[in-house]
Amino acid sequence: MFDVQEMEVNFGPQHPSTHGVLRVLLKIDGERIVEAKPIIGYLHRGTEKLFEAMAYPQCIPHTDRMDYVASATNNLGFVEAVEKLIGATGIIPRRVKVMRVMLSELQRISSHLLWLATHAIDIGAMTPFFYCFREREMVLDLFEDYCGARLTLNCMRIGGMPDDLPAGWLEKLAEFVGIFEAAVDEYEDLLTNNRIWKRRTVGVGVLSPEEAIEWGITGPPLRGSGVDWDLRKVLPYECYPELEFEVPLGRNGDTYDRYLVRMEEMRQSRRILEQCLELIKTTTPGEIKAKISRVIRPPEGEVYHSIESPKGELGYYIVSDGKSQSAYRCHVRPPSFVNLQALPALARGHLVSDLVALIGTIDIVLGEVDR
Amino acid sequence: MIPEPLMRYLVWPTVKFLVAFVIVQVVVAAMTYIERRVLAFMQARLGPNRVGPWGLFQAIADPVKLMLKEDIVPANAEKVGYFLGPMLPLIPAFVVFCLIPFGPPPTFVVTHVNVGLLLILALTSTGVYGIILGGWASNNKFSLMGGLRSAAQMVSYEVPFGLSIVGVLMLTGSFDLVRIVRYQESHAWNVLPQLVGCFIFLVAMTAENNRAPFDLPEAESELVAGFHTEYSGMKFAFYFLAEYAAMLVNSCLMVSLFFGGWSLGGVIMGRQVGLTTVNLQHLGLLGGVIGATIFLVKVMLFMVAYIWFRGTFPRFRFDQFMDLGLKWMIPLSLVNIVVTGILILAGAGTRYPAMGEVVLTLFGIVVIAAVILFLMKGPKPKARPAGVAHARRVSEV
Amino acid sequence: MHVEYPKYKWTDRFLLLDMLEGLKTTFRELFKPKVTIRYPEERLEPADRFRGMFRFSFDRCIACKLCAVACPIDIIYIDVHDETREIDGKNKKIKVLDRYDIDVKRCMFCSLCEEACPTKPKSIWLTTKTYELATHDRSDLYFNMQQLEYWDDRPRYEELGAAFEEPSGHELPGGAD
Repeated sequence: MFDVQEMEVNFGPQHPSTHGVLRVLLKIDGERIVEAKPIIGYLHRGTEKLFEAMAYPQCIPHTDRMDYVASATNNLGFVEAVEKLIGATGIIPRRVKVMRVMLSELQRISSHLLWLATHAIDIGAMTPFFYCFREREMVLDLFEDYCGARLTLNCMRIGGMPDDLPAGWLEKLAEFVGIFEAAVDEYEDLLTNNRIWKRRTVGVGVLSPEEAIEWGITGPPLRGSGVDWDLRKVLPYECYPELEFEVPLGRNGDTYDRYLVRMEEMRQSRRILEQCLELIKTTTPGEIKAKISRVIRPPEGEVYHSIESPKGELGYYIVSDGKSQSAYRCHVRPPSFVNLQALPALARGHLVSDLVALIGTIDIVLGEVDR
Repeated sequence: MIPEPLMRYLVWPTVKFLVAFVIVQVVVAAMTYIERRVLAFMQARLGPNRVGPWGLFQAIADPVKLMLKEDIVPANAEKVGYFLGPMLPLIPAFVVFCLIPFGPPPTFVVTHVNVGLLLILALTSTGVYGIILGGWASNNKFSLMGGLRSAAQMVSYEVPFGLSIVGVLMLTGSFDLVRIVRYQESHAWNVLPQLVGCFIFLVAMTAENNRAPFDLPEAESELVAGFHTEYSGMKFAFYFLAEYAAMLVNSCLMVSLFFGGWSLGGVIMGRQVGLTTVNLQHLGLLGGVIGATIFLVKVMLFMVAYIWFRGTFPRFRFDQFMDLGLKWMIPLSLVNIVVTGILILAGAGTRYPAMGEVVLTLFGIVVIAAVILFLMKGPKPKARPAGVAHARRVSEV
Repeated sequence: MHVEYPKYKWTDRFLLLDMLEGLKTTFRELFKPKVTIRYPEERLEPADRFRGMFRFSFDRCIACKLCAVACPIDIIYIDVHDETREIDGKNKKIKVLDRYDIDVKRCMFCSLCEEACPTKPKSIWLTTKTYELATHDRSDLYFNMQQLEYWDDRPRYEELGAAFEEPSGHELPGGAD
């Protein structure tokens, strides 16, 4: 008698909580999701193809625009990949290494702050948004002092850094490191214990370790499932081997665990920054460039290099034909894109409200998904 | 000359209602400003500060903007429903103000109905139809979902909303809000013996008003804007007005039922201490104004509490929200009724007829004291240097 | 290291302490200093290295075109001709700039051109601490050599209203891309 029909809803691309231009085609039965199909490509700019037409140093500002909330790590991945290709990894000055680690850890903090801000506001807590942005502003101020830009940093060069640290920068960083722990405590006061927050996140989008590995998921979502895989530890780059830090792991692989993992990662990043403040004193100021030729023309060959970006494993695969100054082919393995694959499986059977929590917990940046 | 009965039953109530109506309008307009400002202050920002001194005229600028805005009707909307939607919640929300005693009787009560509370409950629950209708008539899937959520919300929270009051009714023995307020003068504020009832009422009234953390029908991160996605201009303003008027009604109820209404003081050992009804009535019209002011201040505190909740809590999920209402709030309110009833009856007929109430009051005091104690004991606020977020100098131009 | 899960005592649950803790936090925040900058009246001072609007110096430029080569999106247009001039009694062949245009609306402010510039001090630099570049017309963002050097007299944000009445005096080539 009653004709039951599933409703199809276009969730996005213009929706407040799809973090950009993600479009999810939903089939819902009441509020329950029967099928969620992410549709991407609304922000495709052909970055990989652009790399083929550009000299290597010119590609760096373009990497900024992939994961635009974590451009320092994007720069780092590309720069290191090219250094590996031209065989310059061994001659990078120590100061450069420490500076790179500092910038990428700051970037991790700022990216996680943005994630927390948007994740919380998706779940309905609007206040952490502003607190997070208040602290993120300090990180962006630090970036601005160092390289002159706040978001699209373009702050690394092949074989070195564009500039030495400006005067007073380390003191400013120390000030930030000093207050950040208390700031994270404040966010946790609002969320971690809150029973509504727990109800909204515990048991939502459970990802078992096996599933996570099969999906190719990396970064905090993988560690939230309890898989101890952090490229900073397992394939260390720059000066990470010298640094002491923990890799936080979850147990249940649900949204709440991923939340806790990222919160702890912020604290660990702060710890790394604290150690870097000491390490940088042992380096020679002004030693910010390795001696490599100005024109970069790598030998024939290919290289894959990946780093731990705030969102997961960010890999660059570069093929050089040995003749030109630009890559023959450059492929990027963006963590957001790979992690997003799990969304249909995670969302099935959950409610529409959970979908926004899930999009938040995967932490996607559409610039990186679509490139 | 107008005959006395006409004066008494038509003219005066009309005048009083119009005055109350204007005051409500002003309060709602002020609330839009206060809400944005307080919320902003909780979130380390300033809020509206452009229009007029401290942005005060924002409360005027907003309605003016909404009035001047183009009124867009979606092409395939159900026209009648679309127009009726915003009107329906507005009518009960304003009619209810006739029944609320703003100050000591007789001046500051528009109509003194001896079953006023029942009538208020009946009227406020009709407001949701406009939301359902508007959500359905917009011809938008998100609006529809918002409307349906609102319906579910009404179903699961109207019951605890009504049940939470029963304890108060048993204590005071009346449906008359004036009598309930006067009862609290000679006893303690009802919040103490009816702490559980008060808590349920607080939760249920937040839920009834679709306010955070129960703002599911208009959850902007899930349903864009929920039932009013397709509304703009004055129609949207009507929804807005109705929501705030309903908030005001519920705050008024809260104050009258649990927080002593217009009075500030009590009857101790048969003597009128402080600003009680009798003392206020002695002062005549001035007393009435004082009483109404006290009432309004108390109401505003609860209006701010709405904002405070909105600034603090995440949003419930649809099913959890229903769970809370049906599986927790209804049983809890039933238990509250049973316990209150048993305690009142246990005292009746013995040498201490007020025993039950005393026990309930003590329980309330103990719980409140425990909460305050635990909160004080909690982790010390950590040192956070002030204003470091913008360490960079700001240049005044 | 596994993350720590918050421990829940039954008293905390019963007394709703988890919720009240949040309310306490927001209440405390009410009285803390606010971070809003009321923009047109107050402005943030950009950092010394802030990459903002370009400035070009004709006198310093040696017309080597390195900046144009370094530019990832090719928005620097340079035309040069050779001239023989007498300098210090000798005839020298030097390059003379005919055209040095930047299509600022397409620029992504990466400052690679500034880095590539071989002159000391740089002939093209972005550290002018200027960020209010919005115009009413797309073509106003195409800067030629003179404009790149003397854009200071462009009306600023708050003066735009007055300056809008009369033609600004800049005759700009439109839509050169």
